[in-house]
Amino acid sequence: MKQIDLTIDGTPVTVAEGTTVFDAARIHGISIPVLCHQQNERPAGVCRVCSVDCGEKVLQASCVRPAENGMKVQTDSEKVRKARRMIVELLMSDHPSPCARQRHSGDCELETIAKAEGIGAPRFAKRISPRGQDDSSLVISVDHEACILCDRCIRGCDEIRHNNVLGRGGKGYGAGIAFDLNLPMGNSSCVSCGECMVSCPTGALTNKSVVRTVLPNGVPVAVEELKQLPYFQNVSGTFLELNANAVIKRHFKAGEIICREGDYGSTAFFILEGKVEIFLSTPMAHVSTDGGASGFIRKLTSRLTGADRQKPDRDRPRSISIDASVDLAYDNPVAELGEGDLFGEMTCMSMYPRSATVRASTDCVMLEMLRNVLDVIQRNKTLREKLEANYRKRALDDHLRTVPLFSSLSPEFIESLASKAELVRLSNGDVICRQGEVADAFYLVRIGFVKITEEHPGGDLVLAYLGKGGYFGEIGLLANGLRTATVTALDHVELVRIDGADFMEMLTRFPAIARELTAVAREREQQNSRHMAAVTGISLDSFLTQGLMESNSLLLIDLDKCTRCDNCVRACADAHDGVTRLIREGLRFDNYLVATSCRQCRDPLCMVGCPVGSIRRRNSLEIVIEDWCVGCGLCAQNCPYGNINMHPFEVMVKDLAQPGGQKAVVKPKATSCDLCADHAEPSCVYACPHDAAHRVEPNQFFKVYAETKIAERDSPATVRDLTAAKQTGTIARSPHPRDPRSAH
Amino acid sequence: MRIDKSHRPWMIAALVVLGVALAGYVPYALGTRPRGGSVPGLIYGLAGYGMMLFAGLLGARKKVPVWRLGRAQSWMRGHVWFGLLTLPMILFHSGFSFGGPLTSLLMALLILVFLSGLAGAAIQHFVPGMMTSMVPLETIYEQIPRVRDQLRAEADKLVRSLFTVPDSVPELTLAAAASGPSRDPGKSDAGEMIEMEVAEREYAGGVYRDTVLPFLRNPESRRSVLADQGKAETFFEALRRKMPPATHEVLADLENICEEERQLTRQRRLYLWLHGWLLVHVPLSVALIVLGGVHAVVALRY
Repeated sequence: MKQIDLTIDGTPVTVAEGTTVFDAARIHGISIPVLCHQQNERPAGVCRVCSVDCGEKVLQASCVRPAENGMKVQTDSEKVRKARRMIVELLMSDHPSPCARQRHSGDCELETIAKAEGIGAPRFAKRISPRGQDDSSLVISVDHEACILCDRCIRGCDEIRHNNVLGRGGKGYGAGIAFDLNLPMGNSSCVSCGECMVSCPTGALTNKSVVRTVLPNGVPVAVEELKQLPYFQNVSGTFLELNANAVIKRHFKAGEIICREGDYGSTAFFILEGKVEIFLSTPMAHVSTDGGASGFIRKLTSRLTGADRQKPDRDRPRSISIDASVDLAYDNPVAELGEGDLFGEMTCMSMYPRSATVRASTDCVMLEMLRNVLDVIQRNKTLREKLEANYRKRALDDHLRTVPLFSSLSPEFIESLASKAELVRLSNGDVICRQGEVADAFYLVRIGFVKITEEHPGGDLVLAYLGKGGYFGEIGLLANGLRTATVTALDHVELVRIDGADFMEMLTRFPAIARELTAVAREREQQNSRHMAAVTGISLDSFLTQGLMESNSLLLIDLDKCTRCDNCVRACADAHDGVTRLIREGLRFDNYLVATSCRQCRDPLCMVGCPVGSIRRRNSLEIVIEDWCVGCGLCAQNCPYGNINMHPFEVMVKDLAQPGGQKAVVKPKATSCDLCADHAEPSCVYACPHDAAHRVEPNQFFKVYAETKIAERDSPATVRDLTAAKQTGTIARSPHPRDPRSAH
Repeated sequence: MRIDKSHRPWMIAALVVLGVALAGYVPYALGTRPRGGSVPGLIYGLAGYGMMLFAGLLGARKKVPVWRLGRAQSWMRGHVWFGLLTLPMILFHSGFSFGGPLTSLLMALLILVFLSGLAGAAIQHFVPGMMTSMVPLETIYEQIPRVRDQLRAEADKLVRSLFTVPDSVPELTLAAAASGPSRDPGKSDAGEMIEMEVAEREYAGGVYRDTVLPFLRNPESRRSVLADQGKAETFFEALRRKMPPATHEVLADLENICEEERQLTRQRRLYLWLHGWLLVHVPLSVALIVLGGVHAVVALRY
């Protein structure tokens, strides 16, 4: 990116092109007072308090003025100070000082600036047309008199929360903020999220102290104490007062468990003092096919008989993504976090189960906070920079390497890529990129889940869900430079964005990766085409309503052949440590039973929310539950078809009471059909002696089925024969002209 | 296993083997008196016994379903078609003679195994389709008792809207305690009493206690009027005519419960047919293989 050199208050500074003067000054430690601008909002330049002298005829609002090469900026010259004083004095003349915020928490930004500028009683007359107050909301008090029309609340409501309730109403002296079509706040569509109140620099929007969120088992932290902490310094005192019990201080002794994997929670922890150990306490294995010694013997037997063909994709990731700024190594899933680290973001922001167990290594002090607090402090750029620095230092390298394509990059290049990567935060529903747009970046999912959809005349087709560690954007960069799909955030999402130029540089320097990427992109495109072909095939109403066409693979049992011997169930259990993953019961379609077994859905809802990413699709069809499943049960809840079961396994774990000792505990783990990934054919199908069980691709299967039915309809004699055969059971049914099972 | 076109290669192979065996047997039988101890006789005996062993291995194959030893359906087809060949092979081996007591016993066993196998093949060819069409509400066989408990509990809940169920029917209380979800989730479990005349209420109670409840207690009994679908339809039609329209929905649910009970009964009977023949076929096959081995050792050694 092009760099700009300019001088601010005599100090030469260099910033990226497009940076505003305000940000250039901030980055280099030069403070410019401002009222209408917040770091997390688009600048508007309406208050003009941040006016600076850029050597032009008139002063410029620094928050919207882009820096230019060779620009000489004065932020504190006499001319600037005079103008600023005038602006603030004019604003103060219309401000009911002290306003409600100043009275309660003493941090009205306007009054603070006025005080700093030495402005006492304004020389100008107050307005004579009062704007009034609005107390209709149960939660937020609106004092239009204190409003300085900075629009921060409007941008907070529209841009940050996307609630689009707030706007401007009236004009001239009557101008003010308005809810919906200038309704009283309490009657409007406002959801009382509090964003406007938090954004407001004055006492125009303040809390009524009605809503009190309370966290148990800790010491509430006084607003003053919180404001002493660097990360809370820019947080509105009003907000902290409103959320007095939503952030508490907790003390943990060395060895004490802070949270356990799989537990549901709603808080994040910020370590103030001490160190913690973060690990997976659930032992590996127990859910994968053919584990243990018996599995070895089976595999050996298979090899000896030569009857099996091992499927190639058995890649294990070298690390497990967790809800913290570190990843856990697969072989030794333990890591350490220390002062200044945050963990539990996904649990807090999106209510996912805890992804790991956290134990205090030393005596610890930490802040436990609810979502609203975390959300607000994460907008603080200082904290974000610190968290991001931690992430870059500890996990970004690993995350980049988890992308199989990047695994062969040189460490130097990974390092340079990591330093250039941008971290992007998004909320539920935010569109990351749209189909047809120019592709300008490659993305890696750091937190949360995204949905990839392709737009078609009949509606959107979900191509995939990606969770932590997933990546997208390479197809557009490699192909014609346009996005081939739309990517949307499903919850609180954080992405690592690698600029298109850096990405292309990587391809130039590492041609092998370019080749591999092209192959992957082609494979994904082909996969998408297959999905598309699948949904544009036949439409059988009953199957559509049962969601069967949305599956990739159905276990169908031909009930006219099945003798109900349950060999399929036994084979499944035998292949999976005694736990069957199929139930010979389910929906019926004609003479077929759709057994209760994973359908490998095209739109696998089960994969959304897994806190450790253990349920995933490898590069092939099957959805597998990896052996680091923490047993939270979210996938089982998410599966609309009841095809994922939680099964208790007795496992040996470390006995915390006896160092070095072990104890047996029962741990649930999710189990689901993995199509016997180790074998060429699912065991249930392989073991059916009656040729009744078949794994089929539903679209092809029912296409042939429908053709067969049409042929039957066109041939009444055949239908009569078949009907007679079915009714009496005395005539063997003629085989279908084209056996639908050949579709598999 | 349904015997369909996919069996054609196996059938041809079996016919070829039979043809070859027959082609060898005819000149052998015309030239000399066939004996089990002769070379051709021993070849037929070994072939027949080998086929018996192969057919018997299907059971062992099923014990290790995950082992990649060939698809189970191939083993099953081999079992059926080679199993069919055992009888002619052994007949060729013995020269159609029953011999002494052991060989006579063996021959009897072989014929019984052969016939039971044929019966089993026929049953497994036809009965699955019958079960599919006759038992649309089929459940897992082992779950039938539990489903029946749930049906009884459901019936108990339903009739509480018609009359007061006396506490003297302990089964109902027990069943209610172990009940599953209601047939109609929108309907309250206990339900409010439907308004009707006292006489109607007493009549409904009497019918339930005298006819429906005994059937639900013992749904396998053929004596109940509700055990027969046609009679049950007539019974409920008559009941509907006597009861106010407000109760018809409950009566329809009760009728459905009875129908489900009948289907479960049907499923149980068909299931027993499907698998009951194995109780004859498997022990006889084991005995045949064991005694056949004894016969081979005795005949060759002594």
